[in-house]
Formats: sequence, structure tokens, C-alpha cells
Amino acid sequence: MCDKYLCTFRLDHTQKLMVIWGGFVIIFQHIASNAKKLVFSAESALIFKGDLSTMSIRTFKGGAHPPERKDRSGGKPIERLTSVPQVVIPVNQHFGAPIQPLVKVGEFVKAGQKIADAEGRMTVPLHASVAGVVKKIEPRMQSNNTEGLCIVIEPKDPPEGESAQDFMPPLDPFACTKEEALARIRAAGIVGMGGAGFPAHVKLAPTKPISYVIANAAECEPYLTIDERTLIETPEKIVDGVAIVMKTVNAPEGVIAIEENKKHAIPYVQKAIDQSPQVKAGMKIRIQELKTKYPQGGEKMLITAITGKQVPSGGLPMDVGCVVSNVGTLCAIVDAFREGKPLIERGFTVTGGACKTPKNLVAPIGTLISDLVKANVVETDEESLAKVIFGGPMMGVAVPSYEIPVQKNTSGVLLMSKEEAMQYEEETCIRCGRCIRACPTAVSPALLAIAIESGNYAEAEKIGLLDCIECGSCSFVCPAHRHLVQRFRVGKQVLRALKQKEAQNVR
Amino acid sequence: MSDRKLLLSSSPHVFSPVDTPRIMLSVVIALMPATAYGIYLYGLPALGVVVTSIAAAVVSEFLFRKLIKASMTVGDFSAVVSGLLLALILPPSTPLWMVALGAIFAIVIAKEFFGGLGANPFNPALIGRAFLLMSFPAAITSWSMPKGLGLPADALSAATPLNLLKQGNALADVAKYFGASDTGAFYRQLFMGYRSGSIGESSILLVLLGGLFLLGIGVIQWIVPVSVLASTFVFSWLLGMDPVLGLLTGGIVFGAFFMATDYATRPLTPYGQAIFGIGIGLITVLIRKFGGYPEGVTYAILIMNILTPFLNKLRVKKYGFVPPPKPAKPSKEATK
Repeated sequence: MCDKYLCTFRLDHTQKLMVIWGGFVIIFQHIASNAKKLVFSAESALIFKGDLSTMSIRTFKGGAHPPERKDRSGGKPIERLTSVPQVVIPVNQHFGAPIQPLVKVGEFVKAGQKIADAEGRMTVPLHASVAGVVKKIEPRMQSNNTEGLCIVIEPKDPPEGESAQDFMPPLDPFACTKEEALARIRAAGIVGMGGAGFPAHVKLAPTKPISYVIANAAECEPYLTIDERTLIETPEKIVDGVAIVMKTVNAPEGVIAIEENKKHAIPYVQKAIDQSPQVKAGMKIRIQELKTKYPQGGEKMLITAITGKQVPSGGLPMDVGCVVSNVGTLCAIVDAFREGKPLIERGFTVTGGACKTPKNLVAPIGTLISDLVKANVVETDEESLAKVIFGGPMMGVAVPSYEIPVQKNTSGVLLMSKEEAMQYEEETCIRCGRCIRACPTAVSPALLAIAIESGNYAEAEKIGLLDCIECGSCSFVCPAHRHLVQRFRVGKQVLRALKQKEAQNVR
Repeated sequence: MSDRKLLLSSSPHVFSPVDTPRIMLSVVIALMPATAYGIYLYGLPALGVVVTSIAAAVVSEFLFRKLIKASMTVGDFSAVVSGLLLALILPPSTPLWMVALGAIFAIVIAKEFFGGLGANPFNPALIGRAFLLMSFPAAITSWSMPKGLGLPADALSAATPLNLLKQGNALADVAKYFGASDTGAFYRQLFMGYRSGSIGESSILLVLLGGLFLLGIGVIQWIVPVSVLASTFVFSWLLGMDPVLGLLTGGIVFGAFFMATDYATRPLTPYGQAIFGIGIGLITVLIRKFGGYPEGVTYAILIMNILTPFLNKLRVKKYGFVPPPKPAKPSKEATK
């Protein structure tokens, strides 16, 4: 029978059809390669120029494209807020061991004065952000939606003849020893300002050799624009900060990572790099453009995009020779050295559909959003306001009221309108696999959710529950609006508790 | 700030506008060209089959969910998709009561009994067809000639190209049967869709068009269709059959784009999907070559559906994967 087939095998027409078929295969592959990988042609052009490492647009695998909505506050210069009716400063704003208040109710404190501290490596001190009188020390709502001890200070002029500021003397970061530099960074109370609040002096004392210092200006969270404005307004501070960190961790190369949607900020930063005395003296600092994709600013994704390496599961960036710092943190480090100023204020974006005055603000740590609204610094559309979020829309925390202070890790406050604050009923998983393609850590969210729902935590751990970075890409793309990240957050806690129990039983 | 309540929820706070009904509707849109062409070719009977199948699927889902007091899911259009898919893989001359029975079986037995959308282990439309094929083999294997082609006067005695080849006819004779001057013209005719067969599988061109539309808007991914078609081509060739004819006849292209890519019944992981697709191609070819039926796509996909839960174990390596032989370290929270 097959002979019959072969006899009738007319090659010319077969060839035609094979050409058609081949054409389709090529079309499939083009679509499959995500269309934008056609950047390929731009990259190969740059290879000929021999400039691939600096100019190509890089990224990671996976991710999502949430609506950016950065135009509302993007063009607004940073405003500095000087007077506030009160500040409510949470005592524990860092990742690590808790610290204790050092002041009493009724005491006068200067701006920059240390008001809480403790012994221990994973601690950072806390400073008064305004000069005034300590009114209360009591538990209050914090931006992570839990109650925690807060120090309430009411601004007041200092007694006659005294200064309102209590800053440290400036310190030349390029003349001091590494120990002095780390001590200064700790004394200034600096933590990672991108969100996690990891103590900076711990991050900058890596136990492994570092080859890259990465300034994280990706700002992949939609809505937020404070990093973008910092790049445009004080690029020299960022470059100085990268140089200081490079000196502290003894790294040969500094990279300022910027997403494509902030291209307009690149000339400012390039100018600052060209004018930096440290770069002129031979330090290597460059800009790396990244594809606009969420979560490009996630530490692990950033490292993979820039170095091509993956941070090992359960490891730290230093395991692949990287130190990543948010641009806000770098500016705080510069202030700590050049002005002796501790971390007592920070920049953040106030925006959202229910915010009539989207803007970028610098305010003292502990400023209540309710005070900003009362003082008309921020005007809201009370009619449409549906949700208040501290942080960005992908990883931020929804809070129950305005009475929440700006903290060291507050990068934005979103006032979402009813239209923006989408609420969906959770439907059944249709197994479309969108979450699997979106997951930047490749932990197969759909399968992970099934494992957690069926209580199979051994399987969940194997799939990679503890590697989930809770970026929210899976929940964003889910057509059935499954609460995936929520499940993983709870699942992580359950798994950790189970492991602890197991460890005790073994003992 | 008034005492009005603010919404509280876990992050993320924004969502993609792509939801389940939208995905299902896009599948319906992708099937429209092939459906319209099928109705054009076979006339009213084909329209009757399509309408009956969709109506029976939707109504049976509605009634069943009402009966078991479950949440109403008719609005997600998945029953419409199942009904339409079933209609498109049936011969145009199928009696309407059989179509309705098949659709009800597909929805109630193959889908809702297992928990509804996303939980069914087998493709409902294929189960519907397999059920009809086994219950009424004569009716489901009698084919009408497309309008205009009308070579044999008796419509019910028409055969598909695969039928004729299975019976041992030479390709040239089969080509002549369908009015093509030589095999090249026959290939072209098959590609454009002028032959007997199921309602939706006639025109490879229109099926490809729909499939490429789904690929383009990201509703389906390329791995499954490409691996199905590639393995069909390769295995046909290895077993001494005409590989091009293997792709152009039967429902393999339709199956590759619209049946094998069914979300609930194909594996979720890329490696799993590749093996799934290769398996479908292999089994299809084996059935065509050695099996009792001239066409094997239905059973090939159903058989590979069985393996889906196991193929799901073939996950891609997670980010930062470290090989296991390593004492468990206390997990340190990654900082952002």
C-alpha cells in the first residue's frame, strides 16, 4: 500500500505544500517568540558596533504587563513638605530584630535625634523626623495593616539658643574605612526603601566577593513615579550613591538599571555619570536599559536581566556577586555621608484615580496621609474613592483608613477609584496556563495552588512555594481571578510552621 | 474622610481584562470561518447540526447546574464552545436527535460529572463524538458530498479521502473520485476545503486561519499544535504513508488547533505539552495505519488526555533551582 503512495508522490506539488507548511511554522515561531524578541535585530546591529553589553535592552523570562498609568504624576516635580501637624513614627520599620524606644512622653527631641535602638546585627536605629515634643508612645496602625508601637511627635520650636537639628558630622565615604562606612550607614537608620526594609548595613557587608552594584531604578510597579523623578532631578546623588556602595563592597562595576518607559531620564543620568569625580577617577558606572515588564524591578529579575545569572533558591544576591539597592536608598546613603543626615524623610508618589492632585512628595517619616488630606496637600475625590494602597498596585497593601503614616519603605500611596479598584468573584481554574507563563520564578502557580488546596505541602515545597516572590503576576493574568498570591502567602506560613514542628520532633 | 468603608484585599489590586468568557468567545470567533464554510458546503443540515449541538450543550449545562444547585456558569460560554466543537466534528448528515444526545452526553457526563469547567479529564466534545461513534457507527460514518461536487448521486454513500485510502484505493483514484485532475490538484483541493468530511474540518485553510488567530491573540500556545502536526508528519513518513496527505486529510489540523489545545485536558507545562502533542501524532498515525478506523484523531487525543496529570509533573526548572542533595538551610527571606 505504501508503494501506491510513493508512486503517486508528486514532488513538485508536495514541495509547494511543504513551503506553505514551512511558512506557517515560521509564523508560529515568530508569534511564540513573543514578537518583541524581534529586538533581536536591534541587538545584532549593536554587536557589530561592539557595544552590546551597555546598550542592549535586557529582561527576564516571564512577567506581565499591567497598565502603567504613570503619566498622572510622572511629569510633576518632587514637592517638599515642610510643616506637618504631627508625625507618627512606627518603631520597627526594618526587617530584623525589634528595637526599643529611647525617649519618654513629654521629652523634647530634635530632628535627626535617635529615638529608638537596640543591640544586634539585624537592627537599625530610628530617628525623630521633626523637632518637637513626644506626645505619645502607643500602638497604632502601620502601613502593613498591623498595629505596632509608634512614637507620636508634635512639632515645636526648640528652646532658646538650641538647634532644631541633631545631625551627625559629614563623613567622606572615599576616605573612611569600610567599618566606619558601615557604622555610619547603620547609625543613619537606613533600610531598603524599595519595600522590604532590609537593613542596609547588613546588605553592604557581604561575605562573598561582589562584582556588580546595581542601582534599582526599574520602578516596575505601575502608578509610581518617585524613582523616575529622582533620576531626573538628582541623578548626581544616585551616581554618588552607587560609587559609595561600590567602594564599600569593593565592587568593580556599577549599573544603574532603568526600564525603557523612563528613557527620557537616561540623558540626565548619563550626564551625571560623565561629570562624577569618581567615574573620572576610573570607577566604572554604566546605565542598563531594561524592557518595561513587571516585575523587572524585583531583585532577582533585575540580577538575571543584567548578569544572566540566577540567584540560587534560598540564597541571596551576593551568592551571584550582586548588591542591589533602590535609588531612594542610595540617596539616603549619600545624605548620611555628605550631610550626616539620618533617614528621616523620603520621597513617595501620591496618585490614583481618586486623587485629584497626583504628585511626587518628600515628607518626614511618620507623616499621616490623613494630615496631607486635611492640609489639602492631597485632594481626593471622596465620591469615587474605593481603596487606599500603600505601595504599588501589584504588591502594595490595602489599608482601612487614611490614618496611616508614611514609613521608610513607603514608595507610594494610591487612592484608587471605584473603576480602578476591581473586585472579582473567584471562579474555577480553567487551566489556561497563563500564570505559568507569567511567573518570573517559574514555580507553576496553577500546580502550586492545586498542591496547597489539597494540603500537599511536601509537593508545594518541591514545586517551589518558598521561591515565590509574591509579585502578583499570576493573579494579575488569571482569567478566573484566582487568589493565587494570597494562597501562596498563607501557604508559606503554613509550610514554615510545619517545617518548624518537624524540626522540633526530630530534636 | 468619612466613615465610608474602604475595600481591603490582598495584592495585586489590578487585573488583566482577559477573563474566561472573553477567552471562550475568542475561540467561538476563531471557529466562525470554518463553521460558515461548513454550512455553505453542506447547507441546512449542517446549520441544523450546529444549532442543535450548541443549544443542547447550553441547555443541558443550565439544567444540570440548576438540578445540583451549583453556581450558574452558562455565562462563561464554555458550553457554547463545547457544543460548537462537537458539531464541527460530526458529519453534516447526522440526525439532530443524535447530535442533541451527543451534546448532552458531552456536557453532563464528560464535563459536569467531573466538576464542570476546568475539572474534566477528557475533552467533552471528543467524548461526545466517541460516544456517538460507538453508539451509532453507521450514522456517524456516513458522509455527504459537499454542494457542487456531487459526484455520487446517493449522498449517504460518499466517503472521506481517508475512508477510500483505508479501503486500499490508490491516491490517484481517490483524487479522481473528488474530481481532481492529478494528486497535486487534489492536495490543493484538500487544503482549500473541497471534499467530504465533518462540518468543520473541510477547509484546512480556514481551520489554520482560526488557529493562527488564537495563536496571535495568545489564547493558545504554539507547542501543542506544532508538536501534533510535526509528529503526524514525521510518523506518517516513517510508516511509509504520504506525510502531506496525512496532514491534509482527516481532522488532524482541526484537532491540533482546537481539540488538543483544550485548556482543561492538555498538560500545563511546556515539556508536558510537547510530549502530549507528539503522542497525539503518533497514536493518530498508528490508528490510521493499523487500526480499524480510517481516522484516529479523536481517540488519539482522548488517550493522551489520560496522561495529562502525569505529564503535568514535567515542570520547567524553577528560578534559581539548586540540585537537591544539600542539607536544608534555614530559608532566608529574599529582599526586594
